[in-house]
Amino acid sequence: MATATAVAGARIRRTPRGRRLKPARMVLHAFLFLVAILWLFPLAWALFMSLRTYGDTALHGYISWPTDGLTLTNYQTFWTQGELPLFYLNTLLVVIPGVTLTLILASMVAFCCTQFSWKFNLTVLMLFTAGNLLPPQVLVVPLYFIYTHTPIAMLGSIDIGSFSFALFSDNNLLYDQYIGLILIHVVFQTGFATFVLSNYMKTITKEITESALVDGANVFRIWWSVILPLCRPALAAMATLLFTFMYNDFFWALFLLKTGDKRPITTALNNLQGEFFVNNNLIAAGALVACIPPILVYIVLQKQFISGLTLGSTKG
Amino acid sequence: MGDSREAKRVAARLQARSLELPYVGEVPLNLDLSRRDMLKIAGYGSLAAFLAACGSTSTTGGSITATGGNMSLGSYGSDPGSKAGVKAIVDAFTAANGGTKVKLNTVDHGTFQNQITSYLQGTPEDVFTWFSGHRMRFFADKGLATPIDDVWNAVKSNYTAGFEASIKGNDGHAYAVPTDYYPWAVFYRKDVWAAKNYTVPTNWDDFKKLCEQMKKDGLTPIAFADKDGWPAQGTFDILNLRMNGYDFHVNLLTGANGQKWTDPKVAQVFKKWSEITPYYSPGFKGLTWEQGADQLLRKQAGMYLLGLFVSDEFKASGKQADVDQLDFFAFPDVGSQYDAEKALDAPIDVYMVTKKSPTLSNDLGQAKAFMEFMAKGSTQVLYWKNAPGSIPTANDADTSQYPALTKKAVDIVSKAQKITQYFDRDSRPDYSGPNGMQGFLLRFLSNPTSDTTSLQKDMQSFWDSLPPE
Repeated sequence: MATATAVAGARIRRTPRGRRLKPARMVLHAFLFLVAILWLFPLAWALFMSLRTYGDTALHGYISWPTDGLTLTNYQTFWTQGELPLFYLNTLLVVIPGVTLTLILASMVAFCCTQFSWKFNLTVLMLFTAGNLLPPQVLVVPLYFIYTHTPIAMLGSIDIGSFSFALFSDNNLLYDQYIGLILIHVVFQTGFATFVLSNYMKTITKEITESALVDGANVFRIWWSVILPLCRPALAAMATLLFTFMYNDFFWALFLLKTGDKRPITTALNNLQGEFFVNNNLIAAGALVACIPPILVYIVLQKQFISGLTLGSTKG
Repeated sequence: MGDSREAKRVAARLQARSLELPYVGEVPLNLDLSRRDMLKIAGYGSLAAFLAACGSTSTTGGSITATGGNMSLGSYGSDPGSKAGVKAIVDAFTAANGGTKVKLNTVDHGTFQNQITSYLQGTPEDVFTWFSGHRMRFFADKGLATPIDDVWNAVKSNYTAGFEASIKGNDGHAYAVPTDYYPWAVFYRKDVWAAKNYTVPTNWDDFKKLCEQMKKDGLTPIAFADKDGWPAQGTFDILNLRMNGYDFHVNLLTGANGQKWTDPKVAQVFKKWSEITPYYSPGFKGLTWEQGADQLLRKQAGMYLLGLFVSDEFKASGKQADVDQLDFFAFPDVGSQYDAEKALDAPIDVYMVTKKSPTLSNDLGQAKAFMEFMAKGSTQVLYWKNAPGSIPTANDADTSQYPALTKKAVDIVSKAQKITQYFDRDSRPDYSGPNGMQGFLLRFLSNPTSDTTSLQKDMQSFWDSLPPE
């Protein structure tokens, strides 16, 4: 919110050309500078650590100047020992269907609740919004038993090299399957996505829907050919947000997957820890590499992010 | 904003329309498709079952094991060395057992341990890696492990009595095959000791005198690091074993025979312990075991009581010269009648067969063949080559390749009359954790010289508050 108002404020207030340096402004900048350093410090520290060998830090401590010089060996080790490409692929297999399904379902609910008035309009919307307030951790134990007792068809698998992607399920259960992970993400993100999309759809006048109806389009057609194209900015914003949410997930993959090789990249970072020995430098390198995709997505789709934050903040 | 009457009219029309939405009619078609799919699936399924049956018919008559076929293995060996070791074992097993296909699932060590209860109750693999001691008996009692007496009878001639005792459940059945172990001892650097003319202390007074001398020489006498809570339990174990004996220790840790934490013998342990706490590393509450090992590595500390895995840290530092300097001695005698037991912590890692694996009914023969394979010295040496911190347990393991440090470790364990598994493997998990013993020991260590009566009372009341296992 703060960013959004700042952006909006900057646009409205044109700065005068010959302005003087006020003390208040200097204090503000000093403060901002300090906060920026505070935020960047852990990242910079992780980067520093990841560029040093374990032997170097073991001999001289973490707070020391690197004597062996900086190297990229940790990144190299992570790429090979961590089997990085496999885990990135796992993440994609979960995130892409997850985001797509969430957007389809959420836009359907939002469409019905905003474009048509019926009795339980608000109730349904509130139900979906209320779902956001539920902490997922509460559900872990029952979900585990539901997952281990839900039969899912086994329809063979697609094998690419050492990687095997089971169609639906490879153990006849929902447990330990990508599909189970996708479903739980869809369930937990649909609430938020519905909330945001319905706020956006409220700004679309109902006359559009009505004229489409008059032209003979059925409800499905209106949703697909009229409303969804109009919602493109909102969908793009939601897609980027959902991507980061699902990408960042550590928790569900840890509980609902049993097979170590099926884990997405975030949870796979855990694989770098051994029984006794933990190479913190290697983990720092791994964490930084795992950070890259969301950062890239943010840089490329910055505009959508900001519009995503302000979605529905004004009433249409 | 449209006319509200108009909106209602549209809504009414919409409701009327939705009753005759065309895709309602698609449902039976869908059902039809899925029924056909089901038939197809059933067909493939029975074909697969038929093929699988063909594959596993090569069972030799009367034998408990089977060749060919499939089995699955859940492993917590996530360290690079362990991972390579398990992979080598699996490949060797496949080659030796008529091409049995092993599906290996490696999960990082911490997660595997944390989720073990749900793992064993859910859909575990046929065989899994675990620990001996109370932790093994606990799951055996709960009926989550398959007894393997037949396998054990076939391989027990390859093990000493100490190992046999470690894999027996409370019901007397064998539940595991021990595959490797490592001892706890006092580690030091040979070069530092040679430069200062230190000698290995054999009794408590010499040990304290040595600490005093090291302090004078500007060293931290005993490296100590307890950020993670569990390392301090090693000191408690060895002191309690030396002062009060094996039987008392086991009774205390399991609450057997009415043994209580308020016993004055426990107070004696704390009192003895407080005599060496002044020689510990400063700020040990914030140090991980790796940082403690670094103090030894950097020649800042003189001694370190830890498991053989301390050598991992020396290796990770990247210099073989440092690894070569590492040596250890058994914890000194304290002048009690139990010194003669030479008891020590030597945790044993084992392989077990699960109970609830969905594939176990098909794979039991292969799983048992794998367990027999694990009991061979040659198999264990294969693992040891990749993970040298873990010593093979089988009698027929080829010891000629062992470096001096490993030979010495074998020696001190074989001299011990009693072997324990380490506090958190010998006691119940909820008691040994951060809310229990780990926390109590940290409390003791923050004020070691004070009276421990109230601490022991709290330890006992926490024990009493735990639900029955």
